[in-house]
Amino acid sequence: MNRVAVTGIGVVAPGAVGVDAFRSLLAGGRTAITEVDRFDVEGLRGRHAALVRDFSARDFIAPMKMRRMNVLSRLSVAAAKMAFEDAPPVDPATTGVAIGTAFGPVQTSVDYMREYVEKGASLAPPQLFAESVANAPGSHIAIEWGLRAFNVTVTQRESSALAAAMYGASQIVKGAAAAAVIGGVEEVNEMIFSVLDRLGSLGNESRPFDRRRDGLVPGEGSAMLIAEAEGREAYGYLAGFGIARDTTASISNWGDDPHAVVTAMRDAMDDAGLTMRDIDAIYASANSTRRADRVEYCAIQELFGDAAPPVVATKGYFGEYAAGGALQLVAALLAIDEQALHPSCGFEEGDAEMRIDVVRERRPAPLRNVLVNSISAGGGIVCAVVSREAA
Amino acid sequence: MRKPDPNTRIAITGAGIVCAIGRDKAEVWLSIRESRDGIRKLSRLAEETFPTDLAAEVLDELRIPVTKREAKRLSRTDLLALVAANEAIEQASENAPLPRKRAIVSTGTSTGGLLEGEEYYFERLVRGRARAHASRVLQQPTSGPSDAVAKAFGLGGGAISNATACASAGAAIGIAADYLRSRHADVAIAGGSDALCRLTYSGFNVLQAVDEAPCTPFDANRKGITLGEGAAYLVLERWEDATARGATILAELCSYGASCDAHHPTAPAEDGRGAEAAMRAAITDAQVSGVDYVNAHGTGTLLNDSAESRAIQSAVGTKVPVSSSKSYFGHTLGASGALEAVISILALQEQLAPPTLRLREAASDCTPLDYIPHTPRPLAMEHVLSNTFGFGGSNVSLLFRRVL
Repeated sequence: MNRVAVTGIGVVAPGAVGVDAFRSLLAGGRTAITEVDRFDVEGLRGRHAALVRDFSARDFIAPMKMRRMNVLSRLSVAAAKMAFEDAPPVDPATTGVAIGTAFGPVQTSVDYMREYVEKGASLAPPQLFAESVANAPGSHIAIEWGLRAFNVTVTQRESSALAAAMYGASQIVKGAAAAAVIGGVEEVNEMIFSVLDRLGSLGNESRPFDRRRDGLVPGEGSAMLIAEAEGREAYGYLAGFGIARDTTASISNWGDDPHAVVTAMRDAMDDAGLTMRDIDAIYASANSTRRADRVEYCAIQELFGDAAPPVVATKGYFGEYAAGGALQLVAALLAIDEQALHPSCGFEEGDAEMRIDVVRERRPAPLRNVLVNSISAGGGIVCAVVSREAA
Repeated sequence: MRKPDPNTRIAITGAGIVCAIGRDKAEVWLSIRESRDGIRKLSRLAEETFPTDLAAEVLDELRIPVTKREAKRLSRTDLLALVAANEAIEQASENAPLPRKRAIVSTGTSTGGLLEGEEYYFERLVRGRARAHASRVLQQPTSGPSDAVAKAFGLGGGAISNATACASAGAAIGIAADYLRSRHADVAIAGGSDALCRLTYSGFNVLQAVDEAPCTPFDANRKGITLGEGAAYLVLERWEDATARGATILAELCSYGASCDAHHPTAPAEDGRGAEAAMRAAITDAQVSGVDYVNAHGTGTLLNDSAESRAIQSAVGTKVPVSSSKSYFGHTLGASGALEAVISILALQEQLAPPTLRLREAASDCTPLDYIPHTPRPLAMEHVLSNTFGFGGSNVSLLFRRVL
């Protein structure tokens, strides 16, 4: 069975810079969501987000290089730097990059358009244009460490980071690369926040799976993982992936067909050569929206019946979209590393028909394999299996 | 993880295209045969003053395969994607229905719904945040075209979007092929789409990468790109599945190579090392001894064309004919890899290599190659390479084989 080792992790998360700080955030059971003070939320229903604070890009990036980077690039390069320092050295010539981002450089486009309006179409700054492509963070990482294998930026909404991990890992298994930087990045900005608010997507507390949930809270940050074909000292292993699509989803909302989620979970277990009995926990996609959380617990109940493993929802800590979805994957790897499940921050009591065991307190448990779900508005679904053992 | 099986052959059973020189394969190929480009004075975005004023726009009315009501919620990039995907799916469905349950959509796009995002931005400046129409930016994310295609055609296998600048569609096709080979899907609708928008039109101008005249790839007087727009999709299936359901196979996707220059955010490595690595990887993976034609990335910029010509020389030698289809329909950014994949497949089917239009004098800073000037050339072709490179030095090279 082909498994891909995760030998290094770097995190710039809301409320936690560095993987140790991120461990503490998850252990504490307290949310990193706060009131938004970055931009004006007057007149909006949503007023909260999980923002990265106490992060100084200067601690990670030389000033000359930093001037050429937007926020996404800075977060990504900083996270990658921590990941590389955490991992044994890789051969840059055979190392690729696969990064996920849901909304990408929207803020840079807005900044560009402001200059465009003020100065004119021919006088906007070229530096902003160079950073207005979604793959700028991946390019900076490649340049900084001389990574010359594939370089792809995946943008599949809430599933972006898991979809990127799936591609990155597939290239290692295929033999097209020996290692890869995989992960994700996201920025909370006024444009996306206000549009999500107008669409009625936002809530003010993230309460995944809780009966009082009433909307998602956006998060940001970056997480980068060093994935390798072989690794002795690994946090865990990427063992399988599955994809499917909910054909009942509209272009901007989640669908309501649990079968599609079941299909993706099955595909991931099958890809890992495992069965339901091998899965010891599920790190859920649940993001505190009425619709997405319900379709997910219905799918888990449908697939596993009464034998469902414990379920952890992590977005109560750092919101939806955080690190393009990569923080959830990191949390699952840390659970395997620590052999303990994290408290599902924000969850108290589920819907009447919900029968799954949502973990509320830190729970030591032998964890061989953990299923990680990501379910997107628009219908895209990606699931992953992360494992403790190399084979 | 299941390894993408290198022995699984990938059949192309459908292809669709829409761009400045035609709304489907027939129209596009007629333009190619007659050496008719689609570069005109910019007609949309006309309220702006740009330093240059040419573009390869899709000016004909689009034949959109969804209702007007549904179309209203989609971006122009989504609509272009739907037109091309519809043609590809219809062709693949000619002999027998195309299985849709385990069909994935893999799309590359650089800008997604940015055009509508810009209009929303302007509206906000005038009307304020509370009164601007937020529904216009529903499709702002670059996941828009994949989601729109999957929804319109009821595809249940999954949606994967990538925004890897101008290499996006090449990557999308490569990703799709790998996932068919690892059996994560049975069918893939893979391609790219990008509509012309203000940010890119202005951005390439401020980078001084736009030619005032129609672009002239590999020419001594080239000064940059001509921006275009369009979409193209392929339908990919495992060979045995395609033959089992009696589908007509247009060509084979043998392999793809991917690499990164790791050199500069916007400029390619001058020695073409990344481009060469991508071409070599495709050739090695396909286990072929050589190729008969290269459909070049050929943007018309000083840096790309000289670097790419060096890379082609190193990877396949100086004898192989090379041309740039961007001389017909401009640089369609994230869609370019898919448009040029369709051109490569048509070239294989027709055994006719498209030319590089307007090439008068081969550039001295480019390796002397056979650039096929002015008119199409009948050519015996078994294998064709199609190059797609992007900002950030991301390179993808696709290798196609003729099927009789």
